[in-house]
Amino acid sequence: MKGLRKSFGDRTVLNGVDFEVRAGELVVLLGANGSGKSTALRCVVGLAEADAGEITVHSGRAAMVFQQIHLVRRRNVIDNVCAGGLAGLPLSRSLTPALFPRDLREKAMACLDRVGLADRARDRAGSLSGGQQQRVAVARALCQGAEVLLADEPVSALDPAAATQVMELLVELAHRDGLAVAAVLHQPDLARRHADRVIGLLHGEIRLTTAAAELSDVDIDALYAPDRVPA
Amino acid sequence: MTTRKYLTAAVVIAVLGVAHVFAWGTTEVSPAALVDGWRGMARFLAEALPPDLDWDTVVQPGLEGCLTTLAIGLLGTTLSIPAALLFAVMGTRGRNRIVYQLSRSVMSFLRAVPDVVFALVFVTAVGLGPFAGVLALICHNVGVMGKLWSEAMDEIDPGPADALRVSGAREAQVVANAVLPAVVPALVGLLLYRFDVNVRSSLVLGLVGAGGVGFLINQSIQLFQFDQMATYILMVLVLIVAVDLLSAAVRRRLG
Ligand SMILES: Nc1ncnc2c1ncn2[C@@H]1O[C@H](COP(=O)(O)OP(=O)(O)O)[C@@H](O)[C@H]1O
Ligand SMILES: [Mg+2]
Repeated sequence: MKGLRKSFGDRTVLNGVDFEVRAGELVVLLGANGSGKSTALRCVVGLAEADAGEITVHSGRAAMVFQQIHLVRRRNVIDNVCAGGLAGLPLSRSLTPALFPRDLREKAMACLDRVGLADRARDRAGSLSGGQQQRVAVARALCQGAEVLLADEPVSALDPAAATQVMELLVELAHRDGLAVAAVLHQPDLARRHADRVIGLLHGEIRLTTAAAELSDVDIDALYAPDRVPA
Repeated sequence: MTTRKYLTAAVVIAVLGVAHVFAWGTTEVSPAALVDGWRGMARFLAEALPPDLDWDTVVQPGLEGCLTTLAIGLLGTTLSIPAALLFAVMGTRGRNRIVYQLSRSVMSFLRAVPDVVFALVFVTAVGLGPFAGVLALICHNVGVMGKLWSEAMDEIDPGPADALRVSGAREAQVVANAVLPAVVPALVGLLLYRFDVNVRSSLVLGLVGAGGVGFLINQSIQLFQFDQMATYILMVLVLIVAVDLLSAAVRRRLG
């Protein structure tokens, strides 16, 4: 991502943002509410259009998971995962889950197994816990076959145990499966424990890029309470 | 500041007081008439009990009347689906302003005219009978159900649809796999609720000549056969409760 700019009306939300996430790496984006983290990710997947700048995703499309998870709660888990692979289907096979082809179901089952929830395939998505639903959402993203995974506050609505589980899953996907993973977090501790690199955003500009192990409390304060820290 | 508050309160109370005196006069409220009428009510009740349960002259026509009432409510609901859907979709937010305003106005008008008024109009047009009732219900229901559906569509969470768009799904696939699974149960629930209301309305429409058991009730009152009327009212009670339980049960399973 190079020189990304985005304004809503006369409000500049992203003011020249450059960063890169390599395959096999988990990068965490930190920054106060409104600093433009979600907008940056939404530009990458096409939910928002950048005013200027360049976005390159090697290997096609990026997949994305959201804080609000966005599963179809009334449908069962496996049908939700299959929905990640709709793009490759002709319309005639994709209008209702009963028409989904066999190989898509098998692929979806493998993805579900990857997140450790194969045994819940037939349950209604809405009946799972928040952490399990987020892992189903990750499986849906995997079913899309992308090699870049973006996660916008994937654990903000989860309890600490479920949050750790989801973070460990993201780490594994980066380190073992070689995905490029970028996650927005609000907990610096989780970032220190799980990330390879940390990028800090402030008012639509990158203020910080550092290895996770070197992330200091001063850095954190500079991102979240910039007025209290001398420049 | 406080004196102004007191002044406002005093004006509001005065206006409300005048309005009530006026309303009392025009509606000819008269407790004396109610007391005098007590004898009439008692005689009426005495004649209504026991209900007339003669099969050929009362019960069988009553059952047929109930079926007609049910049929009016059913057709009045289902036949209004296409138009209600059209106006509901045109009336969702984020649509072209003119289309949006136009459909909202049409729905408001259809809602504002009570179904009984539509029934009186259609009775003059197509004659006494159930068909006039069906037409009246369709007109009113398109307005009410269209608005309810429109609001239900506005409230749908766009998140799941966005999630599929990200994956590169085409718009038809997004609609089929994210929008409809959320919209359809909401719309069906409202449809059942309207069926429930429309069966009750079709009773009232019967009173103004649109057939069904309401029409029989009206007839028996005009012929002073209060024991027959009592039978019909009991049947209506059973019908209403049955429809109510049915639609509530289905809606629970949907929710
Ligand atoms: N669709 C939109 N229309 C107008 N303003 C928006 C829109 N989306 C985001 N914004 C604004 O952009 C700014 C950055 O938002 P966001 O990227 O969601 O921040 P973050 O995710 O870092 O909290 C906020 O001030 C927000 O109000
Ligand atoms: Mg955000």
